[in-house]
Amino acid sequence: MVEGPSAPAGEGSRSAAVGEILAIGSRPAGSGRIVLEDAPRTGEPTLRWRSRARSIDQIEQELARIWAEPNLQTIVEGEPGRHIAARTSVMNLVVIARQPEIGERCAATIQQLTGRHPSRTIICSAADPDGPSWLDAAIQAHCILPREDAPETCAELIYLTVGGESGRHLDAVVAPLLIHDLPVTVWWPGEPNLATEPARDLLGMADRLIVDGSTWSEDGLRRLGDLAALLEDSRLAISDFALIRQYRWREAIASIFDVPEFLPYLRSMRRIAVAYATHDETGAPGSTNLVKPVYHVGWLASRLKLQVERPLRPVTGTSKPARGSGPPMSRGLAATLRDGRHDVSVVVRPAVSPMPAGTTLRIELLADRRGSELRADVTAVQEAVHVRVWLDGVEELDRTFRAPRWTDVDLLAQAIEVGGREPITVEALRMAAQLAGRTAGAGPDGGGAAGEDGGDRQ
Amino acid sequence: MVPGTPGPASPGTTVEPQGAPDLTPHPAPKPKDAPRTMRDVRLAREGRRKTAPRSTANPLREGLRLERVPDPAVLVLFGATGDLAHRKVVPALYQLWRTNLLPHEFVLVGIGRREYTDESYRAEIRAALGKYARVQPVDEEAWQSFAERVCYERLDFGDADGFDALAKRLDAFDKERGTRGNRLFYLATQPSAFGEIVAQLGRVGLDHERHDGGWRRVVIEKPFGHDLDSAVRLNREVGKVFRERQVYRIDHYLGKETVRNLLVFRFGNGIFEPIWNRRHIDHVQITVAEALGVEGRGSFYEETGASRDFLQNHLLQLLSLVAMEPPATFEAEALRDEKVKVIRAVAEPRGADVERTVVRGQYGPGWVAAKSVPGYRDEPEVDGSSETETYVAARLTIDDWRWSGVPFYLRTGKRLPKRATEIAIQFKQVPHRLFQDSATEPDPNLLAIRIQPDEGIMLRFGAKIPGLGIDVRSVTMDFTYGSAFAVDSPDAYETLILDALLGDASLFTRADEVEEAWGIVDPIIAAWADAPAPDFPNYEAGSWGPEAADRLIEHDGRRWRRI
Repeated sequence: MVEGPSAPAGEGSRSAAVGEILAIGSRPAGSGRIVLEDAPRTGEPTLRWRSRARSIDQIEQELARIWAEPNLQTIVEGEPGRHIAARTSVMNLVVIARQPEIGERCAATIQQLTGRHPSRTIICSAADPDGPSWLDAAIQAHCILPREDAPETCAELIYLTVGGESGRHLDAVVAPLLIHDLPVTVWWPGEPNLATEPARDLLGMADRLIVDGSTWSEDGLRRLGDLAALLEDSRLAISDFALIRQYRWREAIASIFDVPEFLPYLRSMRRIAVAYATHDETGAPGSTNLVKPVYHVGWLASRLKLQVERPLRPVTGTSKPARGSGPPMSRGLAATLRDGRHDVSVVVRPAVSPMPAGTTLRIELLADRRGSELRADVTAVQEAVHVRVWLDGVEELDRTFRAPRWTDVDLLAQAIEVGGREPITVEALRMAAQLAGRTAGAGPDGGGAAGEDGGDRQ
Repeated sequence: MVPGTPGPASPGTTVEPQGAPDLTPHPAPKPKDAPRTMRDVRLAREGRRKTAPRSTANPLREGLRLERVPDPAVLVLFGATGDLAHRKVVPALYQLWRTNLLPHEFVLVGIGRREYTDESYRAEIRAALGKYARVQPVDEEAWQSFAERVCYERLDFGDADGFDALAKRLDAFDKERGTRGNRLFYLATQPSAFGEIVAQLGRVGLDHERHDGGWRRVVIEKPFGHDLDSAVRLNREVGKVFRERQVYRIDHYLGKETVRNLLVFRFGNGIFEPIWNRRHIDHVQITVAEALGVEGRGSFYEETGASRDFLQNHLLQLLSLVAMEPPATFEAEALRDEKVKVIRAVAEPRGADVERTVVRGQYGPGWVAAKSVPGYRDEPEVDGSSETETYVAARLTIDDWRWSGVPFYLRTGKRLPKRATEIAIQFKQVPHRLFQDSATEPDPNLLAIRIQPDEGIMLRFGAKIPGLGIDVRSVTMDFTYGSAFAVDSPDAYETLILDALLGDASLFTRADEVEEAWGIVDPIIAAWADAPAPDFPNYEAGSWGPEAADRLIEHDGRRWRRI
């Protein structure tokens, strides 16, 4: 069961709810024990307690009251049941949700992880930025029964809606609610304004930032630059669902060069081409999110220690229309990398496809070593990634990797299981931003994202 | 000075006449990657020098943290119609498939003596999954795709033609299913068949690894022999066909999550290792208790007994993980080297020592879990005057710098009150008893690592009882896997089969480990053979073992932990 915050109501209705702990069940007169409506079901998170508060002090009091409740024992069908366990937390998880529905979606995802990564979750939304400052908090405890014979594990969820000027200082709202000594992860779905001062303040107290670059508007590359800039300015660890999702592609590509015969070609790469899905018939630059295709190149280039010679720029000219008639198709973007001696050409090109826009459809690698040519073709096939390799025109490898699409629960679990900064992510992200020409100090084409702020504010 | 090394020339020393033999030792030729200059030496010591030549490492593999999918492969399961295959191996493979941890190009070939078609064998293992799959109900979609990769081959292990046909069928899979010559042979048969199967595999060349990367590995289930001689013989037979790096000896205890966590606990935390020695630890207790009896395996148990079935493998493996030195790297050979060193340092009880330091027992009738159970001698397929031990307790010592003087008490038995496996590290009493006036003297600290059930770790320490006085009581800090991580752990077989497919031998037992462990158990069994017939049964089913086991530890002023 998931219950989000109620919309900020009138003052009267707010004060009526303050301080009242509601068990999801009832307490028979004189029994002193809570009778739960439903017996807990193994492995399924259940809402056990909820309360409301209007200030940080009240939130702290309510949290203390939940866990100080002396009668945390269930009675099901008249029989005393298990004791509800005390809180378990392995981290603080702060979610920045621009709309309540995003917050609720995130909460549903987090509840699925109550067992694996119990955390104190604070879901923050800002509202009514021009009105007076106010705060509304819905506090919940969700519990999970890992096994029939085990005590329940419970974690807290706080929905915070902050109005007025307070909404621009989320760091000041969140800081007192963090469990000290536990790592702080900020999950910022949607379009984070990473280059703004409030965002920097909030992220200043975080250990990890989780975003999903594949959902960013336009081509997403400006925010990619902002994200990479955070790496340089802070010790923040970063996880991007867009990069995590590509794990099976990376596994598939790496597997090619596990074959000893193919390994030497890795140092003689000449061309990397990535085709991505677009719904725009022209495939015009800026019409489709490019974060995932650019990450592929960024990962490969960073692992191979390539340097960006020329960042991605639109390829001049157009190709044939996607459907035989209609507007001509963009030829995508091209860049040049260098391995010290040779250039490696990079092409990122659109292809009209019913797949979600920005999804990688195909990666082609071409390597040339001592007159011998290796060509690898990695394609997405339904819930799999298919690898084919030709050596001098003769097919040498044909392999399929099962790659079912990960849910947000899987992605969040992967993101928070990483401890500290992951060098592979850091280098891939840095390289992707360089490829996009979005690093600080990049030329006029590059956009200079570090100083930009065109996004919407909380 | 090293003999043979010429010293500095002193005044008056005569110069060796020309033509005399040059006794100066020549330096051994350096390996190609040996450090040369002082800078090289320093960098190597600082770990900054790469040990592997650059050209052999795939840079794209770096940091692929998520589970790596093994190479395409055929798993050839000998004993495919047996209990182990149905209960453990096939459910583990299905679970790995369901969670996308097996390669798309995967084939399971079941080998057995019974007549099955591919279809009827699939139906049989589908039924087994209905009972034994870890996650129920069975996912029909995953099963269907898994079943497409399962086939059956009827084969007598002595049938040379049958092995020729098997080799051809496996080659055909390479072409039809893209399995690329990679084969994992899993011997889930009676141990007596191991030697014959391995020899047949060698005869038809199925041990030969291909130049293009097709690997061949063999997984052998315990018991690895029934004494030192037979273990050496088995290792020799296997070694004639497979190289040691191709051999994966399974002791499923090593795949258990808590056992693997033991390594993380010891070597991933800074606070325990400094006190993990004779200065701070009084003694260690390792218990593997079973509530079950022999469960219809009377004839098997008659030949093994507790010392061969548990002491030689599970208990000594746990002891080695508790007592080993930190390995230099988390790699199979480094890890196994350290384990072997510890087992080698265990003082073998011999002759009269055995009577003082080892206790054997056999259960009589009694009550377990509110049920009346027969004594061992009344079990089916068991001799009515059997002298087979169903319980063994031992006091072992490790003769090395870290553990000298610290006894390790090991015990295992059947028909004990409950199923429990635990390692308890008992720390020494504080050197000065400051709270002597306290109503309760605090117990020494204790660290208990529970392996099953309720996997977790418990630390006991003294705390002041609230009140005006200074009364101390022991309290515990408990970590349980179930509540800290409310997720299922993989079954040990899932972990170990995946490791074997990936070529990671860290959690498998090496030939020398097996032989060293038999070197400890063999003298015990020999001493028992020379001793008068034991007074069996000497413990009641449902009790914690014979009284002599209590006396064994009480003689040292200690007592068994109540579990």
